[in-house]
Order: sequence, then C-alpha cells, then structure tokens
Amino acid sequence: MGRSLAQVLRDDLGFTGTKVACGEGHCGACTVQLDGVPTLSCITLVHTVGDREVTTIEGLRDHRLIHAFVRTDAVQCGFCTPGQVVSAAALVAANPSPSKDEIQHAMSGNLCRCGTYPKIEEAIRTWQD
Amino acid sequence: MELLRPSSPEEATGALGNGSRALAGGTELVPLIRDGLVKADTLVEIRDVVPRGVTGTRIGAGTTLAELELDGEIPQALREACAQAASPQLRSMGTIGGNLLQATRCWYWRLGFDCWLHGGETCFARDGAQREHAVFGNDKCASAHPSDIAAALLALGATLRTTRREFAVAELYRLPTDDDRNVTTLAPDELILEIELTTPDASTYLKAMDRRKWSFPIVGVAAARFGGETRIALAGVAPIPWLLDSVAILDEATPLPGTGYKVEIARALVRRAIEAI
Repeated sequence: MGRSLAQVLRDDLGFTGTKVACGEGHCGACTVQLDGVPTLSCITLVHTVGDREVTTIEGLRDHRLIHAFVRTDAVQCGFCTPGQVVSAAALVAANPSPSKDEIQHAMSGNLCRCGTYPKIEEAIRTWQD
Repeated sequence: MELLRPSSPEEATGALGNGSRALAGGTELVPLIRDGLVKADTLVEIRDVVPRGVTGTRIGAGTTLAELELDGEIPQALREACAQAASPQLRSMGTIGGNLLQATRCWYWRLGFDCWLHGGETCFARDGAQREHAVFGNDKCASAHPSDIAAALLALGATLRTTRREFAVAELYRLPTDDDRNVTTLAPDELILEIELTTPDASTYLKAMDRRKWSFPIVGVAAARFGGETRIALAGVAPIPWLLDSVAILDEATPLPGTGYKVEIARALVRRAIEAI
C-alpha cells in the first residue's frame, strides 16, 4: 500500500503536529485541510493529493481559535486538539458564528476521549472574543 | 503498488479488472486494502474522470456526500441521508458512487473470519454477536448493508448510468448466493458515472443510531411519496438495501435472537416517515 499523507507529513517533512490515533479514518485526530476541506490524512494516499493545498495545525499557529482553545481550557491530554482546531478552522471560515447545533454537526468527526466536548464547543462559539 | 491516473472513463475501465481497483474518495478502499480484505496491485484514480456535481436531476457519481448535504435542490430524503452518514471528514472525502458500493460493517467479515460471505461455510453472526445484523434476507449471511444513501435512492426509484448500461438502483444489488457471494451486480471493470433522480412530491430519511452522530444505521428508513404511491426502503436490515413492498412485509421479517429489536424500530420509523410526508 502507498504511504499516507499523515506519514509523509510527520516522518518526511517533520510536521508532527498532525497526530495519528486510530489510523483508520474513524477518530479525526489526523485531520488536515486539502484546499480548505477537512480531510483524514491517515487514509489519504499521499500520491492522490495532487496540487491541492495542504493546511496542517502548523499553518494555523496564529489563528484566533488557538487562543480560544487555551482560554476556555478546551485541551486536556491534547492529542486530539490539532485535529479539533483544523476542523474548527474550516467551520468558522465558512460560518463565522456557528450555532450550537452547527458546531456539534461540523465537529462530530473529531473524537476526544478525555471528553472535553463542552469546552471545545465553547472555544468555537467564542473564538472571536 | 501502482497508482494510475486515467484521463477518460474508457481509459479507466480499460485499466480495471485483473487485480486493479477504482479509487475515488478512498474512505472505504484504503482501510480495506490495509486490513487485507481487498487485494489490489494497482489503484486506478477516478477522481478526474467520473462526473462531479448536480445538474438538474442528474448527480455525478464523483459528487461528495458533503456537497450533496448542502444542495437545496435534491430530494429531502437524499439530503438527509447524506447529512446523517459517517463523519464530516468522511462526507467531504467520500463520493456518492463509492458510498453505494461500501461493504458491510459485520465485525466477523471486517475481522477477516472465514465466514460465508468471504467464501467459507459459516455465518458466525448466527451463533455469535449479532445485535447489528440483519432481519431480512439473512438465511445465508446475516450481515447488514450500511448505506444510508442506497436506501434513499431505492425509495426515490433512482437509476444509475455506468460505463456499460443504465438500470434501476435496485438492480445494483443482489443477495449473495452459494455460487456468487457478491452483493452487487457491478462488473470489475464497470464504473458508476451518474445517478438520475426522480422528483417525489415529498420524501424523508430517518435513522436510528447508537449515538446521534457518526454512526452506521441500526435501522434507516427512506420514504418517498409520488402522488398516491409511497415507496419505502430500509438500510441496516439485510445484506443489501431493502425495498419494502408494503408495510405488512415487516411482519415477515426473520430476525436473529439478537436483532428482533430492529423490527420494532423499523416499524416505528416507517410509521413516522409516512406521517412526515
């Protein structure tokens, strides 16, 4: 099998912010954006990326969402957080003031086994504060 | 492994068969190859050769579920089925054509047991863990077909155009037999190109899940009303998407000891779906 985008990002390019947890497209920890679209890098074959632009958590270091996640204490162990922020950044780019239902719908593919969901939701709801 | 990027559907189908597989969103195929459940020495990337987008009542097979979820023009049952399928990332990657061809979530099949569907002699779910399994068409294999979208298209009476033929979506599926364990009629070198929709007066898709998001259907119910006629199809209840010729057919279900609850859920969702349209 060819190598995944996640493997190349982490092992070849040193962008280790992208995490691999389940490795089979279920948990969302490996989420990156391809041309702005949240994509699971662990099941994306790197040779299929083509000329699409890849955005990882490293590219979002100055995004206000980062400060919102810290301010609302939305990080516990932190392993899922890069994927959470990448998904949330795509959401607020399309919809800067999402409702609770819209946040829950757009973030449902990012699992957090520490269970920080209420604080992640608060971070996204207040990201512009 | 080799990756080919054909520039036309004809070139793609010419490269298919003989140990090669078509790759679109990859959400199903990549994990299946990694798990050794699908063997392929060549992948044929079809992203650029299969139509994408909605034109009137025609949907390109390469359209993602995320794109369809936001399309206000398609029938409500299809939109709701897309919105409730999988996770946002999987909907952004996965195509409607690929969704119709996804394999069962039966854990015995997924874990590589030498089960009847894999060509063996035994359906392990029959005497094993079976709460997610079938209540119809399950005498040989008790697996449940997971596609929400297939049930919606079945209720809508949609047709498919492939590189070879045009046919009703119902004819894409077949119950596996002793001689042929496939659950679809698609040839190894045949590609789904477009889905042609009907325009119902009203339609809906209701889904029972273990949790409210990102879950395969325990039971999915699609209903579409055309004048005085209502078509109903179910997901998650048989090895293939299941058209319900009448509500009374629910009385003829053949649940396993662990799946009887699905019949009661189906009864409730069918009633609610009919009321809703």
